[in-house]
Amino acid sequence: MSKPSSKMSLDKKHNMTGWAFLTPAALLIFLMSFVPMIQAFLLSFKMGKGNNLSTADPIFANYTRMFTDTVFTQSIKNTFFYLIIQVPIMLVLALILASILNNRQLRFKGLFRTMIFLPCATSLVAYAIIFRTLFANDGLVNLALVNLGILKTPYAFLTHATSAKIIIIIGLLWRWTGYNMVFYLSGLQNIEYSVYEAAKIDGASPIQTFFKITVPLLKPTILLTAIMSTNGTLQLFDESVNLTDGGPANASITMSHYIYNMSFKYVPTFGYAAAMSFLILILVAVLAFIQMKVGDKRD
Amino acid sequence: MKKKLLSLLMVGAMTASMLAGCGDSGKSDAGTDTAKDDAGDAAADDAGDAAEGTEAAGDAAASGGENTLTVWCWDPAFNIFSMNEAAKVYQKDHPDVTVNVIETPWEDIQTKLTTAATSGALDTLPDIMLVQDNAFQKNVITFPDVFTDLTNSGVDFSQFAAGKTAYSVIDGKNYGVPFDNGAVIACYRTDMLEEAGLTIDDFTDITFDQYVENGKKVLEKTGKPLLSMQAGECDLIMMMMQSAGASLFNEDGTANILGNDTLKIVMETYKKLKDEGVLIEVNSWDEYVSSLTSGTVAGTINGCWIMASIQTAEDQSGKWAITNMPSLVGAEGATNYSNNGGSSWAVSSNCKDTELAFDFLASTFAGSTELYDNIISCGALATYAPAGDSEAYAAPNDFFGGDAVSSKIVEFSTKVPSNITGVYYYEARDAVATAITNYINGGDIEAELQTAESTVNNQMQ
Repeated sequence: MSKPSSKMSLDKKHNMTGWAFLTPAALLIFLMSFVPMIQAFLLSFKMGKGNNLSTADPIFANYTRMFTDTVFTQSIKNTFFYLIIQVPIMLVLALILASILNNRQLRFKGLFRTMIFLPCATSLVAYAIIFRTLFANDGLVNLALVNLGILKTPYAFLTHATSAKIIIIIGLLWRWTGYNMVFYLSGLQNIEYSVYEAAKIDGASPIQTFFKITVPLLKPTILLTAIMSTNGTLQLFDESVNLTDGGPANASITMSHYIYNMSFKYVPTFGYAAAMSFLILILVAVLAFIQMKVGDKRD
Repeated sequence: MKKKLLSLLMVGAMTASMLAGCGDSGKSDAGTDTAKDDAGDAAADDAGDAAEGTEAAGDAAASGGENTLTVWCWDPAFNIFSMNEAAKVYQKDHPDVTVNVIETPWEDIQTKLTTAATSGALDTLPDIMLVQDNAFQKNVITFPDVFTDLTNSGVDFSQFAAGKTAYSVIDGKNYGVPFDNGAVIACYRTDMLEEAGLTIDDFTDITFDQYVENGKKVLEKTGKPLLSMQAGECDLIMMMMQSAGASLFNEDGTANILGNDTLKIVMETYKKLKDEGVLIEVNSWDEYVSSLTSGTVAGTINGCWIMASIQTAEDQSGKWAITNMPSLVGAEGATNYSNNGGSSWAVSSNCKDTELAFDFLASTFAGSTELYDNIISCGALATYAPAGDSEAYAAPNDFFGGDAVSSKIVEFSTKVPSNITGVYYYEARDAVATAITNYINGGDIEAELQTAESTVNNQMQ
């Protein structure tokens, strides 16, 4: 009779130890992350400038206001433009680079891997400023194009709406492709090489191998990178601020940039800014949910 | 034993890195672009360097004790230098007073001020801080409990240029002692004008119509535009507006964008400058400065603090000249004078010894021509009228062809029409910048102004 009860207490003991280890971290996360989130949520129902906050009337005023705010709707469009164009290109590119680098015959693998990953080690602000300089009227790109005879006069890349957006996308590709590639490389390590050998013996072409073996087996990693990239793109800030300053005429401003302006550049409107942040949270959650449903087809 | 030592070292390293992590502000990166607005501070990079030195002193920033004044300002070569000079002047009569200047970039002052005001921790503020003129109204109205009313502080505000003092007057009360001059000057490369058969006199007291005509001649002969501006920033627009005393807001604080005739004239003038090739747009502040120093353009129009940047091109010494800006055609009250940028000293509500702070400001920045003579070397031009009569201001400047530029600029500054900055200055500025970009690209002027007005109205909610 006494035996099971003492076993229970041992179990309990183990549990208690586990909880003891968990508690400090959990408490800190709750205090530092969840409490501010709840406070921000409450703040999003308040209106007013600076410290003169009062409860919004009607209560969802900050949320309905977003849809009448032309700059904010423009920023949503811009952010989704980046998302739809940049994320697929980047992930496909990363996948291709990863499978090339995974080739056992390739020499200087370490060198190439480092070179592709290196952009991730640069600061976001620094690279954005360098890109801005590259595409300046008297920057390297214009100089090259004019001297090669492709352009007659320098093209103002950052003052035209479409080219400004494209340059942000190029910047993002440069900065983040290597980062995603590393995830794929580590995913590829988990695929048995014998699978590829078997495919080779069966006469599969490299393209067939890629689509029939690499992609399906990497699916969990692809899902992970897709969700992370979506999340990152929706919160895009540094490039918009430093590369184009949201211009020309708000053509490249992102949601986070506008939220920053609303809180610090303009007269502080924290309630509205908090409400906009929550819209981003909802968008990220919805998109991640869709991707999980689409991507996760376990039998 | 070895292991223990190693683990101790590791713990030490971790603690150190955590502590260092706390002090890492990372705020400096907003620098290059916005520092442009920090008009007094032409050297944008300083703001970045400054950030690091600030943090260590962060805790000591709170208002000083007995006979000590703590001051926040940002540029070691400019306003910090001036503050230290002011301290020296004051200490002659009051040897027991110390002034503790803490280098704080404007971006950080704004963030700290917002944080202190929203969290109620006003005791983190210094006694005196330097505030950008364009941000003055916004901060006083949003955070009234941060500032001290200076109207009856003994400072004689009538001695300052009216257009300048107006930045820091809210509801008829003075909250700031004007500091550096932002009077607009037009600078030209005389060697390039000569090639086109023109002299500086052809650019003095002219209208924008004449300016465009002259610009076309210069462009034809030298291939250089007269003017460069940063795309998407409407510095020139705001200067043109103020030159006719016009504002983007009405007295009652409502937006005055749609149906603002002066604004329409300004936009049309700007488009004309751009279409004729007299004006080129560049992408960033650095590019703008380099267009001046590398000789890509034959001149510029900006606040007089731009001289500091121009003078970095030492090989161009003697090739520059200064005069007043062109005036708008057809605008009511148009003049050849305007203002761009500048800053003013504010006394915080955390100041314990307001008597001391008042007396300090009244007898230095608002009462000592000696101080202004001392700081003229760093390019700090007074808005304090009596200083302009001093001999130091009449000294010729060889870089600008031996002209007495300092007294000239002080004279300009007294003629600047006053206008309404408005609390929502930055909102309106951005909305108008958007309208202009769209208008230049073929948009309809009325429709764009309508959009700008509704954007500002939405943001004012």
